[in-house]
Amino acid sequence: MRTKRRLQTAALIAIAVVLGLFTVQGTYALWSAAASASPGTVTSASFDTAMTAVNTGQSTTMTLSNGAAATLTLSPAGTLGPGTSVYGGVVVTNNTNAGGQFNTAITASQPTIANVNGGALAGYVRVNAKTAASSTECSIATGFAPVSSTGLVSPAVVKGGSTVFCFQISLDSSAPATVKGQAVNISLQLTARQLCGVPSGC
Amino acid sequence: MKNSTLIKGTAAIAVGAALLLGGGGTLANWNAEASVKPGVISAGDLNITTDNTKGVWTNGTSQIDINSYKIVPGDKLTFTQVLDVTLTGDRMAAKVSTAGITATNGFTGSNVIVSDPQLTVDGVAVPNILNASEKVTVSITLTFDAATAGRTDVTAKYNFNDIQFVLTQQPVA
Repeated sequence: MRTKRRLQTAALIAIAVVLGLFTVQGTYALWSAAASASPGTVTSASFDTAMTAVNTGQSTTMTLSNGAAATLTLSPAGTLGPGTSVYGGVVVTNNTNAGGQFNTAITASQPTIANVNGGALAGYVRVNAKTAASSTECSIATGFAPVSSTGLVSPAVVKGGSTVFCFQISLDSSAPATVKGQAVNISLQLTARQLCGVPSGC
Repeated sequence: MKNSTLIKGTAAIAVGAALLLGGGGTLANWNAEASVKPGVISAGDLNITTDNTKGVWTNGTSQIDINSYKIVPGDKLTFTQVLDVTLTGDRMAAKVSTAGITATNGFTGSNVIVSDPQLTVDGVAVPNILNASEKVTVSITLTFDAATAGRTDVTAKYNFNDIQFVLTQQPVA
């Protein structure tokens, strides 16, 4: 009984010594002082790009509010006949609210031409494209060329600026009469990409 | 018989007391003294305060208003704050660090990187070990990763809340 009590006492003393040593650690603290500042909130910009059809004036943002890519119908003006062309275009505007420089480049992919309700018209339709500074250039026949596999890339579009993609749709002069009244669906993808050019570099 | 014992005891105490009194004097030795003046020991000082000017943000080329500026991938914004550092002490050394950044970060993962504080004195970068009182400009840089893809983190917010610049004395070997 006496031995047990002695052991308990010794244990208590040991714990007290250890706790005392831990407490001593605090004596390593050196002076310190602090000053406060409130830098505020940093906010990132929006990446808004608008598309407007040249012929109809129909407009949409490139990315819808649900995050999906928008589809815009260009509806070229005029009637397509053998050996003739019709024209359409889209105005692409950089509507970002970035605080600094924010240039974008817009790329139009190679178009795909698909027959609507069967038929053979697609085999006689050619699509050429060009970029322009103004939508009025879309009806001018010069400057059009086939879109390469890497796509047609616009010049840099500055914050608040626009670029125009013009499309020329031609029907081969050798198109047979059997394609008369047929329709094709021409689709291509426009992609906006930020160009590295912020003041402090990317 | 009892009285005899009492008398003997009293006598023994009296003899003991007399011996103690007599023995006290035998401890005395020669001694002398001389005076010196070690002087006054003064503690140094350590303090850090803002110099009453508000910190500013720059985008690498010019000062910006962080309340209206919108960052894009590749942006590097720098917050600079001028601080008055008081350091007094012959073996004083101290380091500046940030604390209390309880940022409300609406960005994804590591798309935003906040640097450690960088110090300059009179426009010249200095190591983050100070030894004397200085007017120090502390800057921290926020980088929006240029590799951010798609439309990730558009209109996101990073609220720094309050930052504390802490000056801590460093042990000198």
